[in-house]
Amino acid sequence: MRTLIAFTKKEYMEQVRSRKLLVLGIIFLILGLMNPLVAKLMPKIMEGMADQLAESGLTVGEIKVTALNSWEQFFKNISTGLIAFVLLESGLFTREYQSGTLVLSLTKGLKRYKVVLAKIFVLLTLWTAFFWMTFIITYVYNDFYWDNSEASHLLFSGICWWLFGAWVISIMVLVSTVSKSGSSVLLGTGGIVFFIYLLGMIPKVEKYLEIKLTEGLKLVNGQSVVSDYVPALIITLIVSDVFFIASIFIFNKKSI
Amino acid sequence: MEVLSIDNLCKSFGDKEVLKGVTLKVPENSIFGFIGKNGAGKTTTMKHILGLMKGDEGEIKVMNEKVVYGQTATNRFIGYLPDVPEFYGFMNAREYLSFCGEITGMEKKNINERSEKLLCAVGLDKEKHRIRGYSRGMKQRLGIAQALLNSPKLLICDEPTSALDPVGRKEILDILMSVRDKTTVLFSTHILADVERICTDIAFLDEGSIKLSGKIADIKGKYRSNEYMIETEDEASRKVLLQKFDKLKEEKGQLESVLLFKETDYDIHTVLAFVAEKKLPVIKIERVEPSLENLFLEVVH
Repeated sequence: MRTLIAFTKKEYMEQVRSRKLLVLGIIFLILGLMNPLVAKLMPKIMEGMADQLAESGLTVGEIKVTALNSWEQFFKNISTGLIAFVLLESGLFTREYQSGTLVLSLTKGLKRYKVVLAKIFVLLTLWTAFFWMTFIITYVYNDFYWDNSEASHLLFSGICWWLFGAWVISIMVLVSTVSKSGSSVLLGTGGIVFFIYLLGMIPKVEKYLEIKLTEGLKLVNGQSVVSDYVPALIITLIVSDVFFIASIFIFNKKSI
Repeated sequence: MEVLSIDNLCKSFGDKEVLKGVTLKVPENSIFGFIGKNGAGKTTTMKHILGLMKGDEGEIKVMNEKVVYGQTATNRFIGYLPDVPEFYGFMNAREYLSFCGEITGMEKKNINERSEKLLCAVGLDKEKHRIRGYSRGMKQRLGIAQALLNSPKLLICDEPTSALDPVGRKEILDILMSVRDKTTVLFSTHILADVERICTDIAFLDEGSIKLSGKIADIKGKYRSNEYMIETEDEASRKVLLQKFDKLKEEKGQLESVLLFKETDYDIHTVLAFVAEKKLPVIKIERVEPSLENLFLEVVH
């Protein structure tokens, strides 16, 4: 346990000293602030453009903004956060293979599974912290300007999106155990997510796919119900765990 | 007792056979020079000892315990310094040693004591900067410190001096010499001068197998010729010697003042007596030792 903690500590130290924590923190903070801000400013922007629009024959009526508009922004923007997260963290494993820093740790008797566990732990805690930070900022501002009670199943839709992020992280970890460079991790992770996205075009399988979990907006504005998401939720949970466990087994056999 | 024994280790990459049955024994408290040309298979052999590579055939034992690939328990006996050691650049030397100690499961107090002692020994105790800015020599010295942190039985260094300047080389060799009491040192190199300076035992690796191994003294004894050399101070005394002993000969590639003779031609004492009697000014008289360079070339060809 002590060795696991020591390695995890090293991972956090790297996140702090390489400024990744700061950069990601700023990105997610901005995302959180932007959601209510954009919603709040929308009527002003539309008003400002009203004359132009009128010239082209469109009339702008009175725009009523609610918390739902802000949550709409949230579900649109949070994917930017996830992409930034994956971009910045894609080298978490491969940097160590390329520089050879793991050789010394492993030849000191550090168990290989602890390397994978520590890195999964760091990725998941960071994702959790950043995601919910953005969520809470949006929630608090929404409560301040409007009324969150208009939105239904907020927490559940948040959990769904968070789990989607965890699933993407599990792909990233799995791909990292077989890749040599950060760019191939990005390519592999992006490729798999995109493939699932394409599969989602098929109506019959759509509700079983991880990508379903990103449709939190439909839950919030009442277009869908919780039970629509349960199959995807369970499948994502299982798949992510399988990916994490598979990573440990593959990493055990990897030539470093 | 042997700290390390390798028995018939074979390894191929594709159809290229890199190790063809390496057999090697490293006795306790030796400084073992593992010598070979670039690409002879030195690093590959070392990676097998550390369980970083899986051999096709053969067995390796460290402290009489079998080395297993992947989860390598025998590494608790080993300190390892790779040819180009890579550290976490965002840490400083002390933080790195502390990290190493923790993942090895050392006690906090022990880590601090050992770190302080080793950083002093390698001359990094005043260094406060992060490792990112270190020179190669500094990294090599920190590499030795981390390798010795948990007082290993066997220290394995992969070409520790190859990339260093003369000062850095001397520092590293001195450190290796100084740990000999407690730790057996196995180091690979192609710099024969380093081996002559500090090694007690050697093995020549060539084309994937051990061509010669044993104690340096034994090997030199075995290959020792019965030749002597005399180096005189001036031309005149050289002529006097040549007049008396006409079978003395000059060696090609040597200084002109150097003369060689075989034991079978003249008894050394006769020559010494003559030198003493005539009061000839000599710089040195010595039995010709086989140089590692000659041995190496002889074995390799």
